[in-house]
Amino acid sequence: MSSLNWYQNNYVIVLVFLILGILLPIVALFLGKLLRPHKPIHAKYTTYESGNEPFGDARVQFNVRYYMFALMFVIFSVETIFLYPWAVAYKKLGVFALVEMLVFVVMLVIGLVYAWKKKVLRWT
Amino acid sequence: MSGEYIVFLFLSLVAVSSGTLMLISKKVMHMMVALIFTFISISGIYILLSAEFIAAVQVMVYSGAVAIIMIFGIMLTNHHDSSRNKAPLIRRLLVGISIILFSISMYVGISHLKISLAEVALHENNTEKIGIALFSDYVIPFEIASLVLLVALVGAIVIAKNDNVEGGNQ
Repeated sequence: MSSLNWYQNNYVIVLVFLILGILLPIVALFLGKLLRPHKPIHAKYTTYESGNEPFGDARVQFNVRYYMFALMFVIFSVETIFLYPWAVAYKKLGVFALVEMLVFVVMLVIGLVYAWKKKVLRWT
Repeated sequence: MSGEYIVFLFLSLVAVSSGTLMLISKKVMHMMVALIFTFISISGIYILLSAEFIAAVQVMVYSGAVAIIMIFGIMLTNHHDSSRNKAPLIRRLLVGISIILFSISMYVGISHLKISLAEVALHENNTEKIGIALFSDYVIPFEIASLVLLVALVGAIVIAKNDNVEGGNQ
């Protein structure tokens, strides 16, 4: 068996896992709908809020600070992605790659320091 | 018909149909779920192309990080308006004609495209090959990518922080 076939057959397991992951909630919810009694009263439809009376709308406008954290998460996850091939190929690349990666990381550390100085990382 | 072809058909069907679903659904969260399905099926197509690392990046960055940032963007805006205003007929007609022209020209452009295939076993040590190529031949684009990320970070901070100062003065 060629290595390409071996590679593709490995992903059959991933495919099976993915299909199971998609089917499981669908089947579980559908079976639950079949089995449970259906007696709706008004109190059952109120939102459960740990015993408190729910007030207001659930879809409120969130603070813009959350967005800053999400954005920094995206940027640093992209940085992490670049670290992976560097780490895997490091033995074949040598010291020059270390310098390149240092330049790359320092660039983003500058951004992090800027965010820190601008008090983005602080909540209040 | 090989199994690879069937899987490709399935994945492209999921990608295209959830893209369409994203366009026609009325609730923004449903659009997000459809978009995530598109991203994941595209990563499956990458796996068919023996680009394992790109597929992992697609799952991590697009259906992870970008989806989260889009959900945050939805949560930050008011989105109670689920009605849509219909564009005038002449504009819809023009848009339809341009879509048809675009797809015809893309089809003509792509159908006779010949990409010279290099016989490389991409599926063996995929990540290591990308690393060697990135850090020996494509150093400058790599460093420019860091600069672009820095600019995005600083620009977003500048824009969002200004809003915060105005909000704090209320």
